[in-house]
Amino acid sequence: MHLLTLVAAESALLPSRIQMAFTLAYHVILVPLGVAFPAYTLLMEGIGIFKKDAAAIRIARRWSVVMAVQFAVGAVTGTILSFEFGILWPKLMGRFGAALGMGFAIEGLAFFLEAIFIGIYLYGWTRLRPRTHFLLGLALPPAGVLGTVSVLATNAFMNTPGGVTLGSSGEVTSVDVLGALFTRALAYEFWHFLIAIYITAGFIVASIYAVAWLRGRRDHYQRLAFAIPFTVAALLTPVELVVGDLSARALVADQPAKFAAMEVTWKTRSHNPEVIGGLLTDSGQVNFGLSIPSFDSILIGLSPDTVAPGLTSVPATARPTIAEANITHLAFDAMVGLGSAGVALALWYFVVLMYRRRLPQSRWFYGAASLAGIGSYAAVEAGWATTEVGRQPWIVYNLMRVSDAVTSAPGAVVWSMLSVLIVVYAAFAVIAVTLLLRLAGRWRREDAIDTPGAPEAGVPYGPPSERLAADAPGRVKQGISGTVQVIIAAVLALLGLGIVIALVIALSLVGLGAAARRFIGRFTRSSST
Amino acid sequence: MTTTFANLTAFVLLLTITAYSVAGGVDYGAGIWDMLAGRSPTAERARQLIDHAMAPVWEANNVWLVLAIVICWAGFPMLFQSVFASLYPLFSVALLALILRGAFFAFRHVQSGPRAQRWMGVVFGISSLLAPFFFAAALGAIASGQVAVGAPHVSVWQACFNPASISFGLVSLAATAFIGASFLVGDARRFGQADMVDYFRRRAVISTAVLIVIGTVALAVIGLENRPLLNAMLTGLGTPFAAAAVILTPVVGFLLWRRVFRWYRTLSVVVVGSLVFAWGFGQSPYLLPGQLTITQSAAPLGTEVLLSIVTLAVVVLILPSLALLVYLDQRGELESPQA
Repeated sequence: MHLLTLVAAESALLPSRIQMAFTLAYHVILVPLGVAFPAYTLLMEGIGIFKKDAAAIRIARRWSVVMAVQFAVGAVTGTILSFEFGILWPKLMGRFGAALGMGFAIEGLAFFLEAIFIGIYLYGWTRLRPRTHFLLGLALPPAGVLGTVSVLATNAFMNTPGGVTLGSSGEVTSVDVLGALFTRALAYEFWHFLIAIYITAGFIVASIYAVAWLRGRRDHYQRLAFAIPFTVAALLTPVELVVGDLSARALVADQPAKFAAMEVTWKTRSHNPEVIGGLLTDSGQVNFGLSIPSFDSILIGLSPDTVAPGLTSVPATARPTIAEANITHLAFDAMVGLGSAGVALALWYFVVLMYRRRLPQSRWFYGAASLAGIGSYAAVEAGWATTEVGRQPWIVYNLMRVSDAVTSAPGAVVWSMLSVLIVVYAAFAVIAVTLLLRLAGRWRREDAIDTPGAPEAGVPYGPPSERLAADAPGRVKQGISGTVQVIIAAVLALLGLGIVIALVIALSLVGLGAAARRFIGRFTRSSST
Repeated sequence: MTTTFANLTAFVLLLTITAYSVAGGVDYGAGIWDMLAGRSPTAERARQLIDHAMAPVWEANNVWLVLAIVICWAGFPMLFQSVFASLYPLFSVALLALILRGAFFAFRHVQSGPRAQRWMGVVFGISSLLAPFFFAAALGAIASGQVAVGAPHVSVWQACFNPASISFGLVSLAATAFIGASFLVGDARRFGQADMVDYFRRRAVISTAVLIVIGTVALAVIGLENRPLLNAMLTGLGTPFAAAAVILTPVVGFLLWRRVFRWYRTLSVVVVGSLVFAWGFGQSPYLLPGQLTITQSAAPLGTEVLLSIVTLAVVVLILPSLALLVYLDQRGELESPQA
């Protein structure tokens, strides 16, 4: 009987891991559009209002429809994720729910705020004064940031658990709320991820209009819709390079096995080469790959004498397997490579902008820009794979193994659930893409005859279309009085901004400072020896 | 101290489940009536009304579900582990129904052609039946006392499918159809469609009768099979709520039968809420009857305090925003000339 349950538990491990990876990888696609896209939309709306640019308003309103569609898909895939913690990993939550769950509880709040304000934003286009509408929209980016920081607080706890006291059998006996929410990894994970999704949202939106440019649509509308998101994303790429570098360095101390896997370092040593590509074998050799002598050591501590941790410094049962190490390494290389390509593209853009005082005209540039969106997505997925696969075999680093957290349900149950999910998620993708392509087609046709209608028409979410048709431009709504509108908007926007400013200050103080201190400390240590 | 906060968290959890039962119930109920409408010109008008009434939702009801889940795992980790270890089949089916429903609601808008529309309507309708049934069955399974702490001590199938869980599921189906019809009466009135008001009024009255019958049978079955559960629900803290549901259900039916279009929606919300409260208060102070109390399962104090702060933030931030959204939505509908 005991053996039987053991076999059953083991067989659920693989499908559970695949299902979690699959559903998370899918959900991550929606995150940039849910968290960062509203900021771009608001930027566009702000330009429309304050520079009195009708095209910018039209762009912002159309983008808000895209936001609504992706939010509906994200709401469903996010709900599934929260249930999966129970269906697939019940013991993880049973043991660490009191600490891990706090971040998610705040995320529940943020999700709620986003759901409501996306609704207000959609409904408000015809019913609120432009400035009130814009001010109310300002609640969306802070809500997104709040959601991001809370989900990452959970992930950071899994990577660098802290703030909890454990009892004799490993159960959580007391929780230091701030300590468990703001664990060491949060600071770098938060900034690294937040900037990544802002870059991704900017590039993916811009890439749509880069394709339009290549197809010959180059009027004011298209250029504006390209330049605004592209510029913001391009400005962020070098910042991401620095933050990413700090994150990687912090891992040397926080999760040496993950760092070793990322660099496929077998034995702890100084003068460690940086290997680009290549595969680690069971004997610790790296085949193929381009090796730059001592460069990994230099990257860690600015000196070839710096000691880089190796996989073998951690017992074999507590570090990633060879296959997992290879996945981590290749994903890391892919992320760094794509990130560097993004920096190069940004440089190209700004050089042209500065010396020619206009947007680039080269087809090559727009060809590259049209790939930047997909490239950013690939980088986000690769980075996420790096952090998750590199943590194996732990679900909570050094405290709980993935295999100890998995459900005792038979593997067959999980396999069948996984197959149904794959089919349904594929259907989601088809629906969303069909819907967006159809909308894009209609908007293009309307622009061609210069009679833009309500962009929301035909979307399953948002105000019903026939009602919008009745909203002739001259018919200003006599809804809530103007003063009340402004007060509501101001209060809500202030509350939201307050949350974010407090978070940013807290994270900056706790986090990047600590990472930088550790880095400086290592640098001084390695030079003194 | 911990007990106070844990009780507060448990109450918030119950409120969240209630909110999902009501908001989700209205939504699933509309889906059920969509499926039962059949094929006729009247049915098409009913479908249009349902579609129109549901459009502003964009899956935002899931918010309540997610809140309930996160409050449960942070506030009562052991409850969460125990419930999912024993009842994962129920949740898996409910979850699949939930996503199929979301997908096919959107699909109907994308796909044209009457055959495709009908086919998708069927999937949409069936998943609207499955989701409330299986979610409520999970509550019934918890109430039945078959969910053990940590890992299941009876077979998973026995924990999931027993008289209590099936009774809860069936009652929830009837209650869902009931509250769905009652709100569709309101929507039809809002859009000024007199024939649809009557159409859904008749259905609301019928579903009131069905709810009373199924509720009585369910109580009888529970009484025969699981005496302690019946006693817990009829005596103790749950009693006033059970009584409220018993008294108010016929009142809603009576109001709609006599075409008195006042209070019927509020009262149907109270009926559904009372049913959930009767379960929740009925089994307090136990989260898992006879095995795990609120205090025993509570997370350490810090977590419970944080959950209270989050709850406060929901009240301060979200309720005014929600009011604004509802205002914008309802106001716009009132102004629209009839299409």
